[in-house]
Amino acid sequence: MVFEELEHTADVRMRISAPDLPSLFSESGFALAKTLYGPYHFETPAYSFPIEAEGKDPEELMVNFLSELLFLFETEYLVPQKITISIDSSVSGTVEGVLFDRAKHAGGIGVKGISYSGMSLAKTDTGYELIIIFDI
Amino acid sequence: MNSQIQQITKTEWEIPIGFVPGMRVPGRFFLSENLAENIEDGALTQLANVATLPGIIRYSFGMPDIHWGYGFPIGGVAAFNAETGIISPGGVGFDINCGVRMITTPLHISDIPDMKGLIENLFDSVPTGVGSKSPLRLSQSNLSLMLEEGAKNAVDMGYGMESDIRRCEENGAMKGALPEHVSKKARQRGIPQCGTLGSGNHFLEVQVIDNIMDASAAKTFGVSEGQICVMIHCGSRGLGHQVCTDHLQILESATKKYGIELPDRQLACAPLSSPEGEAYFGAMAASANYAWANRQIITHIVRELFTKKFGISYEDMPLIYDVAHNVAKWEEHDVDGSRQTVCVHRKGATRAFGPGRVEIPQEYRACGQPVLIPGSMGTPSYLLAGTQGAMEKTFGSTCHGSGRVQSRSSAKRSQTGEEVAEALLKRGIIVRAPNPAAIAEEAPEVYKSSSEVVQTVHDAGISRIVARLRPLGVIKG
Repeated sequence: MVFEELEHTADVRMRISAPDLPSLFSESGFALAKTLYGPYHFETPAYSFPIEAEGKDPEELMVNFLSELLFLFETEYLVPQKITISIDSSVSGTVEGVLFDRAKHAGGIGVKGISYSGMSLAKTDTGYELIIIFDI
Repeated sequence: MNSQIQQITKTEWEIPIGFVPGMRVPGRFFLSENLAENIEDGALTQLANVATLPGIIRYSFGMPDIHWGYGFPIGGVAAFNAETGIISPGGVGFDINCGVRMITTPLHISDIPDMKGLIENLFDSVPTGVGSKSPLRLSQSNLSLMLEEGAKNAVDMGYGMESDIRRCEENGAMKGALPEHVSKKARQRGIPQCGTLGSGNHFLEVQVIDNIMDASAAKTFGVSEGQICVMIHCGSRGLGHQVCTDHLQILESATKKYGIELPDRQLACAPLSSPEGEAYFGAMAASANYAWANRQIITHIVRELFTKKFGISYEDMPLIYDVAHNVAKWEEHDVDGSRQTVCVHRKGATRAFGPGRVEIPQEYRACGQPVLIPGSMGTPSYLLAGTQGAMEKTFGSTCHGSGRVQSRSSAKRSQTGEEVAEALLKRGIIVRAPNPAAIAEEAPEVYKSSSEVVQTVHDAGISRIVARLRPLGVIKG
């Protein structure tokens, strides 16, 4: 498992690990999606949207990237299947997915925002690890 | 309990200056001795962190439903001086003006033989959960008006009665809303979600008043034993969430610009009098107004359904009151012997103004403001009244709910949603949600006892219990 839910009284606190930064970002995007929609099976994407985010440091970049994704999910009713991004001082890429279907994607809980509280983004021996709270 | 915490009275505790570096005032929280045993260290630290903010007056307060949040703890209250103080989205929360309202009906339990059918009808009529869509087609100009006028705008569109407006805190619209500081993105999230309940701890509940503790106040508020009521708990949906996200980013830069040292990034803030602080206040007020309109529209859907289903008249379902839980407001309070206008942040806390305040509707004024405290799915909700004690002790504030004690993940591990629903059904409570996990995460056991929390605010003198409401059926997002 690349992400796991940690204890938090009121919100959803996640630990996400990945070998490199782009995969840490895309896995974090899926962690957000599975919080919103519950576990769901892969489907061939039918829609594609560009995504971009900026930030003064890696933490801000991550919060802004996830906030952009949340905006995309809520306004386009998009359930992501594939997230392809590149990272330098900013993040840019595409999110491919299918439309929200109550029969398949109603297993989750709405996320109100991405919090900086208790957040850590660190390099580890095997890559990168993020701990982050989704406010619900 | 942490050894540095000092007990002041049976229900009041103090976090001394020095608990975290930079505290300007002590922290004060209200808990029964029993509830105090389980207070989280994370919540204490957050309460102490708030005490480091510039311009904070008297104390950083925690209500008895205090728990670990982000920035401020949930159940946190703090007032700030108009000239030296700050405003922080971390003291309001992502869900701006998340709040509760209650309508009464002329029905009794015997008038609803098929509660399951009613709950199913409510679940089908009120858009609920992730991915639900607004029953309205709001235009950009409609939305702008809603951001300024709040509940009144919804009533003008046909969603409610004129008398609903003055029974909302702030008459359903905060002054000082600046829709121009609500981003295009926030608008894009707000338009398709207007009139939707959302998810998480948001709910719509059919309840019966099963115990009147203060007959005179109950009479004033127009509630009587055996009466069926509907309680609605939701907020400003994606619009408010986006406003919080957008302005946190702006205020993060402002924090550095104004040289404010913070112990937690989520407490990003700006002086109340700065352009950044004023922009956030205006956008927050606009979001609060959207939330009042949102609850007003959902109320209308409920009334229409009850009218059709039970043949009762729309006018016979008056709004008792509507309170905000997550908001920062300019209010007049007595501070060190003088009347001052201060900015009170309430994050997961309820205004509880005592008798005589002009902000309270005329018909309730002598009694104090109605305060609505929702329980969890299986535990009772309460109607209380604001007190002079709250004015003196907590800038007119009290608790907002029961307060979680168990995490969502551990709740899901201990019981499935089906098991929780089954157990509630045995106690005569019907639960309907889009998925079983949503029920498991909100099981009654994950919250403090609502009765104990409410008894604590009553004993502490910051509100007084008027009536208890027992849940009969609930829809969860």
